Amino acid sequence: MTGFLIKRGLQALFVILAVTLLVAFAVRLTGDPALMLSQGAGSVTEQDLANIRQALGLNRPFYVQYLTYMQGVFTGDFGASFMGGTSVSRLIGDALPATLMLAFSSLILSIVISVPLGIRAAVKKGTSTDQGIRILSLVGLSFPNFWLALMLVLLLAIVFPIFPPSGWDGPMSLVLPSLTMAIILSATTVRLVRTTMLETLSAQYIMVARSKGLRERVVLYKHALRNCAIPLITYLGLQFGNLIGGIVVIEKVFNWPGMGTLAFDAIGGRDYPVLQGSVTVLALVIVIVNLVVDIAYGIVDPRIRTK
Amino acid sequence: MFALSKTPLALGAALVASTLAIAAPAAHAAGTLNVAITQDAGSWDPIDTFVTWWGSVGSNIYDGLTIRGADMKLVPGLATSWEFLDNDTRIRFKLRDKVVFHNGEPFNAAAVKFTFDRLLGEEGKKGPQQSNYNAIGKVEVVDNLTVDFHMKQPDPVLLTKLAGYGAMIVPPKYITEKGDAYFNEHPVGTGPFKLAEYKPKTSLSLVRNDAYWAGAPKLDGVNYRFIAEPGTQASELQAGRIDIASAIPLGMVATIKKAPNVKVVTTSGPVAVVLRFNTKSGITANKEVRKALIMAVDREAIIKQILLGYGKPIASFQGELSFGFDPDLKPLPFSQAEARKMLQAAGVKMGSTVQLDFRGTDPTFREVAQAVAGYLQGVGIRTTLKPYETGVLINDIIPSGKTGDMFHFVWGGWTYDYDNTAYLMYHTGQKWNPYDSDPALDKILESQRATYDTKTRQAVLRNVARYVADNALELPLYSQDTVIGVNDRVKNFAVPGDIRYRFNEVTVD
Repeated sequence: MTGFLIKRGLQALFVILAVTLLVAFAVRLTGDPALMLSQGAGSVTEQDLANIRQALGLNRPFYVQYLTYMQGVFTGDFGASFMGGTSVSRLIGDALPATLMLAFSSLILSIVISVPLGIRAAVKKGTSTDQGIRILSLVGLSFPNFWLALMLVLLLAIVFPIFPPSGWDGPMSLVLPSLTMAIILSATTVRLVRTTMLETLSAQYIMVARSKGLRERVVLYKHALRNCAIPLITYLGLQFGNLIGGIVVIEKVFNWPGMGTLAFDAIGGRDYPVLQGSVTVLALVIVIVNLVVDIAYGIVDPRIRTK
Repeated sequence: MFALSKTPLALGAALVASTLAIAAPAAHAAGTLNVAITQDAGSWDPIDTFVTWWGSVGSNIYDGLTIRGADMKLVPGLATSWEFLDNDTRIRFKLRDKVVFHNGEPFNAAAVKFTFDRLLGEEGKKGPQQSNYNAIGKVEVVDNLTVDFHMKQPDPVLLTKLAGYGAMIVPPKYITEKGDAYFNEHPVGTGPFKLAEYKPKTSLSLVRNDAYWAGAPKLDGVNYRFIAEPGTQASELQAGRIDIASAIPLGMVATIKKAPNVKVVTTSGPVAVVLRFNTKSGITANKEVRKALIMAVDREAIIKQILLGYGKPIASFQGELSFGFDPDLKPLPFSQAEARKMLQAAGVKMGSTVQLDFRGTDPTFREVAQAVAGYLQGVGIRTTLKPYETGVLINDIIPSGKTGDMFHFVWGGWTYDYDNTAYLMYHTGQKWNPYDSDPALDKILESQRATYDTKTRQAVLRNVARYVADNALELPLYSQDTVIGVNDRVKNFAVPGDIRYRFNEVTVD
């Protein structure tokens, strides 16, 4: 296990380094922050622009800028935003919990929705219930997430004003964005659970369990589900990256004070430090989640632990 | 569900814990106005930013030497009067007595000098505001309540500029002691409201300044929320969680009008929209062709159908509130028959193509661009529509002269003075003037900058507008109304087109 952890740790470190370099390079292709900052100003001279670039440290060679940035990253200092100079660490410190909260609540909600539905579809294979659930998941797959978000806001925040339409105003604010993400996620998860469950249910040990006279609930949830867990965990781990990507859009629609909004605004404002910082941290989160998923295999399936 | 059931539970607990850890914004207290604005300016230091939304907040925290009301008229602010001396090379300001900053520091001539030394000096160099005030040579303290501005060159728009943005007066002692970085996030001014709390990218709240020199405001406070999506602002307004939505998508106006307790308020805005021409190459290098293209487009129909009437046709790159606007200057009439004749006379072949570059991030303008393409098709010109990201179009493509035959240009003109637009668009060598160099036009533009005489300036600026129209340097489209949504509980709110809201007189039920 230790060797495995070291190997995965080194891989993770390499990924993070590659991401930071790529992002630092890519953001500099998006345009000149000095032009962006002086966009609304009167007659801007080259000298004015040069002054701003100097103040932002952009007149130094790329490798110097990158190394300074990385030096900061290792000490937890991501520099200051070009727009106003707020510390990037502080911005991320405010935004990251909001995004993680949204991501995890969406993930949990999607499990709560999709696992029982998937099992139900598998057990009732070929019946109208199975058909119904499969059609439902197809409908869920077909929704663009922003459209679904707007429909949920219209229905549950304006027509029936139960939940706040946007922003963070206490736990109730979590419902609509999580539900949107969960519905999209559940659509594919339901199908995965159904398929793996069907395979499992035809296995011999299930027949044994049934023939022992165990109750169907126990057979399904204790014996069968545990064996479905590996592909499910793998899938959800992989989905986490997509989830974070999808959250950017959802955060915009719900004005959620998270990493997506932060990164999106930074792109518009050519705010290099904020963009670099937020992408680095998001990459770190995804890498860690994948690491956790790998370790989780061992916990769920004893056979992997011993390998 | 044994192994799995524990995980959601644990995560659920962590969720609740983290839910509590993120503090909720202040509740909607009585007497508090809730305003949604599009963007967090990032810094509340007046010299750091050019985000227009800065003005929506900054105008309540700070005062300038002059103040511009919702009717766009200039009135005395921290200066009670001013006079031009020494052949207009010196402007003497008499300052308001017994004014204090929010931190208790006195406002006086030293504070004015400090403000402008900072703006024109090293600190100002780091931001975009300095270039607006370069006409000022230095500021000199005459006595505690008198300052002289020594001008390097005349700036007839200066008094207007003093009412906003970079020229807002800041507290010397506070900034010297706390530093610029701290000041960014903890602004202190002399304005009607003072900062209570600022959460970057999320919200900012102000409380009433009971010691305000013009009398304490009637509200207890103002909460601003930064909501970028106009649709989300509209939802929040409909749900009754904000009182003022400052950006209402035109497509949602009808829906909002139907909602109870909410009204849509419009006013002439500073924003004008034109299509500028590449006058160097392609068929648009020919003046007669440009005129034909202008005549081919029915702007009245575009305003009625796409802007739902929330705009006015223009003949020059400015709205009706702009100084220099000439009500007698009429746009070229819409006539496709005439346009076809002119194109034929100019030797333009049927089926010739023009490329129109536009800001692809603006859904309303996308429809306008499609309509323009449709009209041009009507006179036998095919149009290629090329959308760009706003920043790329205005910072990279236009200044380097890499545009198509026509390009979309939107200008806010926050000073409401045509000079601010015309000089930057038409003077030789200006960043946003990649194609034209016309010594005659340069001369006219410069001549109005040399005088403070408003009558002369108005005449010259009208002359500029005519000159540009005669040479068909652009296809004028419309000036856009400022459209905002307001809850009925808000009283005494005069909507300024330039979105620099001041809430001194506002009350909420």
